[in-house]
Amino acid sequence: MRKLSRSRRGITPVLSSLLLTVIAVAGMSIAITATYVITDGLHDNMGERFIVEDVWFTGDNNDTISLYLRNVGKISIKVAAVYVNREDRLVASLELEQGKHDELNVTCDWIADSAYEIKVVTRRGTQVVDYYMSPP
Amino acid sequence: MWTITCRRLKRNQRGISNIIVVVLSLVIILAIVSNIVLWNYEMTQLDWEKMKENVAITNVERETEPSGSQFTFQNSGGLTVHLVSLWIISPTDHQQYDVNVFINSAETKTYEDNIPLPAGNYTVKVVTERGNTAVYSGS
Repeated sequence: MRKLSRSRRGITPVLSSLLLTVIAVAGMSIAITATYVITDGLHDNMGERFIVEDVWFTGDNNDTISLYLRNVGKISIKVAAVYVNREDRLVASLELEQGKHDELNVTCDWIADSAYEIKVVTRRGTQVVDYYMSPP
Repeated sequence: MWTITCRRLKRNQRGISNIIVVVLSLVIILAIVSNIVLWNYEMTQLDWEKMKENVAITNVERETEPSGSQFTFQNSGGLTVHLVSLWIISPTDHQQYDVNVFINSAETKTYEDNIPLPAGNYTVKVVTERGNTAVYSGS
């Protein structure tokens, strides 16, 4: 026992092996995490699908546009911006789980019998854009 | 000859780490690529199914006993359609109803519900689970 504690031969190879193992494990962990993050991001971008079910030009003073959105994709979405005639109009963001639908009210003055370009953009960058006519 | 080569390979361990690194890298790359390709395939399948859907509202009638409406849907596409949302749109109101109607391929289905139709002009719109819509205008 005393011999073993006094003899320090062979310590360096053990330490180097240990250090190499730690570095290898850390490297693999980083590689796997990076893989997961990259793949997950691409997954989410590809899996987003949503539709604008209905657009209702409403409001007592012709100042509200109600959008009814439905998530038809494979993952939940979060609406990040709504553009009406290329102007950002979103007041509150909306999160939709897979298969769910909800209403999004946009404050915007509108004129009767006019065409409006409405673009809905999600946090991941998916967008749905179309033209809608306000009622006469 | 074969035995000698095997012995040499067993004794000589130089280059083993390179092989391990290459194999591990290949495994990671394969995992990424297969994951993305499979997911992309699934989403393409979803889009393809959406394109193949073809549903129409052929008739809408008011019912008096009991009060409500009768809707006739026709699926002329090649896939079963699942209707999930029905809209009754009038100049003064947009009303949404959750529905759960399955229509087989080449089938015409009548759906009755306690949904009041507005007086005057109206538009009926149905939305499928895959995101397609069908519209019917009546008065």
